[in-house]
Amino acid sequence: MAVHNITFTLNGEAEAAVVPSHMTLLQMLREEIVMTGTKNGCAAGECGACTVLLNGEPVNSCLVLAVECDGQTLVTVEGLAHDRQLDPLQQALIEIGGVQCGFCTPGVLISARALLDRNPHPTKADVQAALVGNLCRCTGYVRIIDGVLAAAERA
Amino acid sequence: MLGKSIFRDDAHGKVTGSALYPGDIEKDHFLHAKLLFTGQPHARMIRMDTAAAEAVPGVVCILKAEDVPVNEHGLVMLDQPVMVGLNSKKPFSDVSRWEGDRAAMIVAETEEAAARARDLIEIEWEQLPVVTSPVEAMRDETIIHGEEPSNVYKHYRIRKGEMAAGWAAADVIVEETYQVPMQEHAYLQPEAGVSYIDEEGRVTVEVAGQWTHEDQTLIAHALDIPKEQVRVIYPAIGGAFGGREDMSVQIVLALASQRLREMGINRPVRIQWTREESVIGHHKRHAVTIHTRWGAAKTGELTAIEVEMILDAGSYNCTSNKVLGNAHLTVAGPYRIPNAHIDSYAVYTNNCPGGAFRGFGAPQGCFVAESQMNKLAIALGIDPVELRLKNVLREGEASITDTPLPAGISIKTVIEQCADKFEEPFSGAQVLPRSFQSLPADPKALRRGRGFACALKNIGFSFGFPERSEAYVELRGRGEIDRVVVRHAGADVGQGAHTAFKQMVAEAVGVPYEKVEGVFSDTAYTGDSGSASASRLTWMTGNAIRGAVEKALTLWKQEERPAVGFFRYQPPPTEMLDDKTGKSNPNITYGYVAEAVDVTVDIETGHITIDRVVCANDVGRAVNPNLIEGQIEGAVVQAFGYAVTENLQSKNGHILNPRFSTYLIPGIRDVPQKVESLIIEEPDPQGPWGVRGMAEMPFIPLAPAITAALYDATGVWFNELPLTPGNVRMRLKNTLVPDLT
Repeated sequence: MAVHNITFTLNGEAEAAVVPSHMTLLQMLREEIVMTGTKNGCAAGECGACTVLLNGEPVNSCLVLAVECDGQTLVTVEGLAHDRQLDPLQQALIEIGGVQCGFCTPGVLISARALLDRNPHPTKADVQAALVGNLCRCTGYVRIIDGVLAAAERA
Repeated sequence: MLGKSIFRDDAHGKVTGSALYPGDIEKDHFLHAKLLFTGQPHARMIRMDTAAAEAVPGVVCILKAEDVPVNEHGLVMLDQPVMVGLNSKKPFSDVSRWEGDRAAMIVAETEEAAARARDLIEIEWEQLPVVTSPVEAMRDETIIHGEEPSNVYKHYRIRKGEMAAGWAAADVIVEETYQVPMQEHAYLQPEAGVSYIDEEGRVTVEVAGQWTHEDQTLIAHALDIPKEQVRVIYPAIGGAFGGREDMSVQIVLALASQRLREMGINRPVRIQWTREESVIGHHKRHAVTIHTRWGAAKTGELTAIEVEMILDAGSYNCTSNKVLGNAHLTVAGPYRIPNAHIDSYAVYTNNCPGGAFRGFGAPQGCFVAESQMNKLAIALGIDPVELRLKNVLREGEASITDTPLPAGISIKTVIEQCADKFEEPFSGAQVLPRSFQSLPADPKALRRGRGFACALKNIGFSFGFPERSEAYVELRGRGEIDRVVVRHAGADVGQGAHTAFKQMVAEAVGVPYEKVEGVFSDTAYTGDSGSASASRLTWMTGNAIRGAVEKALTLWKQEERPAVGFFRYQPPPTEMLDDKTGKSNPNITYGYVAEAVDVTVDIETGHITIDRVVCANDVGRAVNPNLIEGQIEGAVVQAFGYAVTENLQSKNGHILNPRFSTYLIPGIRDVPQKVESLIIEEPDPQGPWGVRGMAEMPFIPLAPAITAALYDATGVWFNELPLTPGNVRMRLKNTLVPDLT
């Protein structure tokens, strides 16, 4: 089985890993690096719980091979807060009630971060378009949308 | 502390990624487990060969039916084998009745080795007739549980009044057949867990469930060891909705740890299901077929109802007999019905088992009752809200079980307030169906309509179940109370229960929220809380907390430091339905809800969108309004999935679409444009501070409100769910506009 030595930037830090060819980015994060904030809800790119930023773009990490990340820049939910200061999106979801069981939350936050990075003043329809790949079974999405809009307003 | 929208305690960990769900728990030297499902809806095992599997490098052990000391489980009836296979002491364990039955548990050094070994297990099966139609199952040509005389294993009756007189008094009769489908819970976190032997030698399972002490009881039963030697801990739980009430990985994990101990291997075991395993491997909301006839006088008063209901229990009971009981009673709605004749049957088939799911029989019962009321309103020419107000039960009046509902009936209030709120002008309704934005709809094809429905549902377990909830409250400090520690098993499945518990403790003790600490959901430290289900948890826990705080404060005044109060709350007992007439006091108390919707339907595509929902939900007393609104919004969207988007398909006992790409739960673009939560606070006399259970209620009336709105929009009634675009278009094509191609 071919293995690869790869290096990448993860949440601002240089990181290295030895990964087999078939290992997904999700598996590398959860099982090799043991950083479990990124969730596995379907392993098929259908639920969005495993969304991370790859060079600033949101991707389903279950659909990306770890070896593709060689030399790239990754951000997971663990990388959203800086110096214990929560990202405005994290703070808004807490305050507005966009978190229930929380399993979809890491992916939701990452997709929303990508949205605000390219569009700081989104409309409700923009938020819906950006989060169309993130399933949530608890909240009915209402407070997720409100939270993202509130975070945009505060920033 | 009550009535404040305190931010939930667990939110910080959940937004930063530090919250640990069962699949996130790390321990040194993990072994990995895989379960082999039989994949056989109905077959008898002839031979099982694990030799090749055992030879796979890294395989530590393979557990089979013969390795389970007491090979049975089930929340109500022990009719389910832990594993199907040969040489089990439990009779009929060699028969697989469900494709999700388990045949083996493989424990190995790596997940890959376990998976490879699983694929190498050879099983020879003798095929048995697969029975998937409940009506066919009722003929008993093939008996699914060999020890039972019939597949029809539960039959409830209501015999009330004089049917002949009831029909004679009816000026209008509406007779219909309804069909409601299975629904998958689709919690985002697939089943997972870890097990190990803890420092006190207990078989310990960390898993996502709904009732730690019931998991503990069923594990101990199957392993044939005392309950004290089993410990169950719930870490963060990724949604439940009833789908985690039954055993998934609990017993097999415990079995693996017990076996490893016998082998002298002191290593933890983990298991993680895939999405497909989750959908195949746990129960569903019940599919039900209902034939019914309702009569009303021209003044609007109901005169008689007759119902025959057949509930597909699937391969094992799970909680089907209790779900049947709820559907049996809620099919009469919250109405005064002088004459009633109801027969309800639970029937075994080889389909995926039916079981608990938010609403627990009430969504099915209510769909029938409210559809009938909406049709009667049209037939009588009476406004649907008025018709309901004429018929709703009042204090002291005989309900369908011929006894009054418990005091505190607020159905009239929720109906009136919902209707009033709905009358308020609402602008901004977006007319275009949003999910088809890439295909702009022809404005001529868009029709709009309004619908209304209401519901009641029991709070807590019914029919004589010994309900209870135990709480410990510890007061610490010297002169003043510095800190309060509450210990309670109740599961926070995502609804925010633990935050609400702490608010109630702070209220009862009279200290700020920040002084309260919680120790939750670990059988080693907590008493039996009962389940996080039946809209019961806040209600029961609040009563237990009040009792424990009262005891602790008494001890505190007697200078005990720390002062520890324990209280076991037991509500007034309930009764099983009388076998012949159904007469009984089956429930402790009820929740009440009403919903009104504006719907747009595209008659060319069959696509339905909800423009607006008003939900009036009596919560008795709002402990945390933000959490309550979250429950209402979440329930409304989940019910939209039930009514419209979700279409679980099963053929010959096999689920065909166990994926999110083929089983469509609502996404962020399916959300109604506006969900208005109307929190009503009419105290429940038995509830703590007047609290009423609420989290299931907003799910229940949405489907019949949508079908009423569809009728308003198109003039066509829909008696079957789901209202997928294909189903809607087909029916409209056949009835409304035959020239649609």
